[in-house]
Amino acid sequence: MNHEEPFTNRNVSESSTYYYVDIETYPVSGWDKFKQVFRRAIRGELFVGLWVVMREMIKFDIHTLQYPLEKLPIGPRYRAVHKLLRLWESGYERCIGCGLCEKICISDCIRMDTRIDENSRKEVTEYSINLGRCIFCGYCAEVCPELAIVHGGRYENASEQRAHFVIKDDMLTPLDLLKAGEQAEYPGFGAIIPGSDASVKKTPLAY
Amino acid sequence: MINFIINNQPVTAQKGETILQAARKAGFYIPTMCYLEKTTPCASCRLCVVETDKTEGLILSCQTPPTEGLVVTLDSDRLKQERTNIMRLYDVNHPLECGVCDKSGACDLQNKTLEFGVDRQHFSAKDQPRHIEHWGLINYDPSLCILCEKCVHVCNEIIGDDAIELQFGGYKSSVIPKNSDKLDCTFCGECIAVCPVGALVSSQFQYSANAWELSKIPATCVHCSAGCSLTYEVRHTSNLIGAKSKIYRVTNDFEHMTLCGAGRFGFDFDVEGTKEESSFAQAVHALQNAKAIRFNSLITNEEAMILQGLKETLGVKLYNEEARAYQNFMSAYSSISGKIGFGGSLDAVCQSDGIIVLGGRITTDNPVVRYSVTTAARHNGAKVVYMHPMEDELLQNVVTQFVKYEVGTEEGVVAMLAKTLLEGCDLSEETQAFFDGLDEGYLCAESNVGDEEYAHITKSFIRVKRKTLVIGSDVITHKRSSNIARLCAMIETYTEFSVVVIPVNVNTIGVSLICELDMDNGGEDVVGYNAAGDYTMGSIGDVNLTLPSLNSQEGTFVSINHHVLPTNVAVAYEGYTLNDLASSLGVKADNTIDYTAKLPLSKGFNGVGFDNLGNFYSALGEDNRGYILENMDVKAEGVLEEIDDLPEFNGTVVYHCNPINQFNSYTARTSQLEKEAILRGSAQFAAAAKIADGDKIRLEFPHSTQERIFKLDSTLKGTIALVPAYDVGFGALNEQYRFEKVKIMRMGSAS
Repeated sequence: MNHEEPFTNRNVSESSTYYYVDIETYPVSGWDKFKQVFRRAIRGELFVGLWVVMREMIKFDIHTLQYPLEKLPIGPRYRAVHKLLRLWESGYERCIGCGLCEKICISDCIRMDTRIDENSRKEVTEYSINLGRCIFCGYCAEVCPELAIVHGGRYENASEQRAHFVIKDDMLTPLDLLKAGEQAEYPGFGAIIPGSDASVKKTPLAY
Repeated sequence: MINFIINNQPVTAQKGETILQAARKAGFYIPTMCYLEKTTPCASCRLCVVETDKTEGLILSCQTPPTEGLVVTLDSDRLKQERTNIMRLYDVNHPLECGVCDKSGACDLQNKTLEFGVDRQHFSAKDQPRHIEHWGLINYDPSLCILCEKCVHVCNEIIGDDAIELQFGGYKSSVIPKNSDKLDCTFCGECIAVCPVGALVSSQFQYSANAWELSKIPATCVHCSAGCSLTYEVRHTSNLIGAKSKIYRVTNDFEHMTLCGAGRFGFDFDVEGTKEESSFAQAVHALQNAKAIRFNSLITNEEAMILQGLKETLGVKLYNEEARAYQNFMSAYSSISGKIGFGGSLDAVCQSDGIIVLGGRITTDNPVVRYSVTTAARHNGAKVVYMHPMEDELLQNVVTQFVKYEVGTEEGVVAMLAKTLLEGCDLSEETQAFFDGLDEGYLCAESNVGDEEYAHITKSFIRVKRKTLVIGSDVITHKRSSNIARLCAMIETYTEFSVVVIPVNVNTIGVSLICELDMDNGGEDVVGYNAAGDYTMGSIGDVNLTLPSLNSQEGTFVSINHHVLPTNVAVAYEGYTLNDLASSLGVKADNTIDYTAKLPLSKGFNGVGFDNLGNFYSALGEDNRGYILENMDVKAEGVLEEIDDLPEFNGTVVYHCNPINQFNSYTARTSQLEKEAILRGSAQFAAAAKIADGDKIRLEFPHSTQERIFKLDSTLKGTIALVPAYDVGFGALNEQYRFEKVKIMRMGSAS
């Protein structure tokens, strides 16, 4: 079935209520200009503004953020430099090396290397993101089946080169922080939707 | 021709075709999980069920031939329900590890599960304890296995190893090594190739890359003369080592062809090169002053053309004793047959029902010949006569008659065989007189092959319709090879036999057709291209100038089937090529492959350019790789010579024979293939040579010495030991007669 948008007249001027602002005429001659400047200066408007500054100075209630010593808190769903998370209980890396992030990445900036480890499990030996190419679209976090790669809040990406990388060691939650319970779950792209437990279907098991 | 109906459309099937084959040819889709075109139907998946008007129940289309007028339905609701249920059963407790599984993205189970929309588990079964098995180059995970039996069928029917079997136990079933705890086979890896899921995987490749990341480069295997089609799967390496391109694995079109272990696991023989002008100038200088270029047959046709061009321009000689032996053999052969090449092919071997293999250890010389013989034996019940001084344990299952002859007596054996096979044929008087005049008593006594053995061949070949004679490389280098060649040509010309002569290297035939070779007298000022010389270049050994190896080159080879096969660059090469050298010496071309179209028409090449050559099998198995050489006519004016006195080889004799999956210096430096460079002999040999298992020994040949470890091999018999050749010098096999008398010195025990 074809979807047809109903025609709407977007000609705003017909029903508009535009009116002319009453603007005094600009001074033309030199004398008139001088008179305008003199009149405005004498009226003391300048001191109205200066008083506001004085008043706030005396109150010592300053809102300026002392960047880079201080930083604004950003939203939890903000998409900045990636993080690799660990499993809460075991401390193992969540990443299983499936390569979906590498595949989905539209700026082709993720590269990973995997191998089989001593326990016949897939191990990610190397993981890098070229931040110079990354557009922080969040697809990697969205596609990740293990909630392993997420976006963090670190947004400073100034670099002397176009290509600069974050590697696995930079992104992975350090074990001490994990033990201290400081690994935060990411509520942004790819995170579990609240209440999704209810939609899980049980697999019949013969135990 | 059988006419029947599929989905209301008329379809014709050839006699012997099944419903499935006819339907696929006509473009109908029938899903299968266990079907393999090249084996007999496994009939284990039951996904190919169809409805007919003549049967009550559903029938398996993979093993049922149609009857005249049969009405077949492929897609009723009942069939859909049946197939969906089968897929549901396949998915019961299948580990949800697609995320890490190597097969993910190229998995039959994944595809069919999606196709039938199985999105949850409907049935339950108590899971069994299953352990991942590590079988050397192969890993087996029974919990991923869907028991389709493809691996078992291919191992038994095509390869002939018969190394694995299904352990039946209902839900506990799994694939196990046959009669052994550990997998004991030739490691062809064909089971990995045919596995529709990730149950059988290459242990070295496992978990190192995903199927979708690898770029696939169609190429031709360079290890033996079979010239198998293979696909190099290439990806970048890790960032840490510069993200270069690297071959991760080799795959093959397993539905239509079979690859051996050397092709599948021996792929990492590429070399790196740089463009250094000083060494290039040195190489040009060396070639300018050279009297001869010595090379081996591990080169493309195009490079052979370049070398021939250099010969014509610079007046150098071309040395390649291995190809020259083949050239001489075939020219003697042509002088009787009147054709430039032999008439047989491996396809002919596959389809024959009577095969005689003479003078070569085919299991190691050319595994595809072995697979063809196995296929013929298993599928056509072919009679296989194996004639050789040494029995081959790997051929035990297929050989119906083993004829053992004495070392060196090939001429007498072939003469007697020719006499036997040519009996009753319409021969010229002269030829008839030759055969009548054979001193049978002497020949039989010296070769130790009795009359009754020839009589047995005759008897067992009475009902055989499609006959093939496979000539191994022992006779090519035999002192009397020309006369043997004429005798073999007699057999092909006057009987129904088609003959296949096994060349040693991938392009022995190409070189022998393109290059005018000179007798190698040694001498000075020899430039060696992948061969010994005063100045050496190439990709083998410690050379003065590195040139690309064969997986970094594009070009063509001529295989044992007289098939001109293209190969492509898997790993880019940065340095100079032979074409660069030749171009600065006056043999000019922009690219090496410019020569493809210029390959000599007089030898049967057809002048097609490289970029117009296909390199694939169609879905129905039609071979679209390159083209077949035309078998040109030549003058047939050869005459048989009198049989010479048969030589005697007494004392300790060794047979130059590479171990399984080893062929040349390329395979010798790959990381996965086993490199057991030992002298293997029987207890009888050990007694004769006065050595014991594990002894360190020195072998003194007339022109060289080798130090090796001796290993007792209980599968061998007799007084001949096997000595590998792939790791000696430039991996030269077959420059001389492969049996050699040798002095053996014991140097102490290995430990």
